[in-house]
Amino acid sequence: MGRSILKNLIPVLIFILLWQVIALMVTAVKGVPFPTPWQTGVKFGSLLGGQFLSDHTLYRHILDSLTRWFIGFSIAAIAGIGYGLAAGWSRLFEDATYKILHILQLIPGLAWIPVAILIFGIGETATIFMIAMTAFTPVAINVLSGVKRLDTTFVRAALMMGAGRKALFLQVLLPGSLPAILSGLRIGLGNGWRVLVAAEMIVGTGTGLGYSIIQARWTLDYTSAFACLGVICAIGLVFEQFIFNPLEQRTIARWALDRDA
Amino acid sequence: MIRIENISKRYRYNGHESAMILSDINLTIPEGQFVCLLGPSGCGKTTLLNLVAGFIKPSQGRILFNDARVTGPGPERGVVFQDATLFPWLTVRQNVEFGLRQRGLNNNNRTKIATEYLHLVGMALHANAYPHTLSGGMRQRIAIARVLALEPQALLMDEPFSSLDINSREHLQDELLRVWDAHRRTLLYVTHSVEEAVYLADRVIIMGPAPKSICGDMILPLKRPRKHFSDEFRSVIASLRLSLDALPCCIKPSEKKSGRI
Repeated sequence: MGRSILKNLIPVLIFILLWQVIALMVTAVKGVPFPTPWQTGVKFGSLLGGQFLSDHTLYRHILDSLTRWFIGFSIAAIAGIGYGLAAGWSRLFEDATYKILHILQLIPGLAWIPVAILIFGIGETATIFMIAMTAFTPVAINVLSGVKRLDTTFVRAALMMGAGRKALFLQVLLPGSLPAILSGLRIGLGNGWRVLVAAEMIVGTGTGLGYSIIQARWTLDYTSAFACLGVICAIGLVFEQFIFNPLEQRTIARWALDRDA
Repeated sequence: MIRIENISKRYRYNGHESAMILSDINLTIPEGQFVCLLGPSGCGKTTLLNLVAGFIKPSQGRILFNDARVTGPGPERGVVFQDATLFPWLTVRQNVEFGLRQRGLNNNNRTKIATEYLHLVGMALHANAYPHTLSGGMRQRIAIARVLALEPQALLMDEPFSSLDINSREHLQDELLRVWDAHRRTLLYVTHSVEEAVYLADRVIIMGPAPKSICGDMILPLKRPRKHFSDEFRSVIASLRLSLDALPCCIKPSEKKSGRI
């Protein structure tokens, strides 16, 4: 227990130390005040205490960002899983659409900005659209390949035991591709989060962590920008550590079985 | 009763016809007979079994099961695969219940029947375990229970014990005989081991490369229970060996696993 805490603590300490060194060097060499870990921490504390940041509290920014992320990602997850299962099920549908998926995959998230603004105008919906578009492809591609890689003998076994099409889909294909679905969702979630922060900087949402960072920059409030960066990292870590890691470990342990047999 | 009439099978890759795997096979397997398909690897034993199971379609000829034409897999012909192919996302009991669920049995009846068959194969204590926590021999027992629970009219087994250590294999052979003896269902069993065939079967069909797919058909003159080291047991093995020695030892692999249903 003590050892594992130490093991987790060491990279954090190294990171803070490097940050401190860089901050001091930049301040000394270039003469601009680069926020140190300590200053950022203090700022973070007062933001948590309710200090306003571009007209709103930090909580409001976090909440708005999370809401956009959640909505955009949910759309992408439902569409991506649906597409993957459908294309894995029907060869015809896969052949007709797979190339489109590949093209979509080549488009960087931020390149959707003009499309988003043209369709939805500036604001909330455009941001959500961008998140959904960037999160969709990894989910769809992963689910599709998961369904296709599913052992033929699983399908044969199910048919032999009298499974109909519906049971085959719900009781074999869906649970069988769960590991692939999870890894697709994980990548999609990460992509969505990154594009969200970037989109908020540009699309002009009025709130959100990305918006706050860019606003803080205009007002030369770099310490607040750094505090927001810290929040962004923390949110990412929380999702990895407390949602995806436990889920993946559970499924991978169980599903591993016939993979290597 | 299984009737195999004028069956030929070629595989097709990317539109090209490959070499003939099975050529003009005619066989009748009466109710309750334990038949081993014996032959060098690559001669099409598994292909013939898959045809009877309905997993693949013949290029020519037809297969009748109890006078009805086989058009696809079904629970009246239970299959035990080389790997147990239990569904890793289900517990042992749920795996056995899978076929019962497809039949629309209610929860209580499913649990009752599943427990009964798990008892029969000595796995009742592991009903709530997940397959990945069990050994290969245990999984294969469950695969047998899962198929017996379907109450099939025939069992089709494709080298079910070949990946097990000798000790578990001999145990499972004895248990299979015990279970088979209780109901005397038709059993078609693929093996490449002469000893196994002679220990288990009423009748051994020796297969060779197409175009001469069936090289021998022999009713074993041995009483049950059989002893591995009796003189008559050895002499039957010796005579089967002679027929097998006349065949090439292995034939180029031809059955490719495809990732699609």
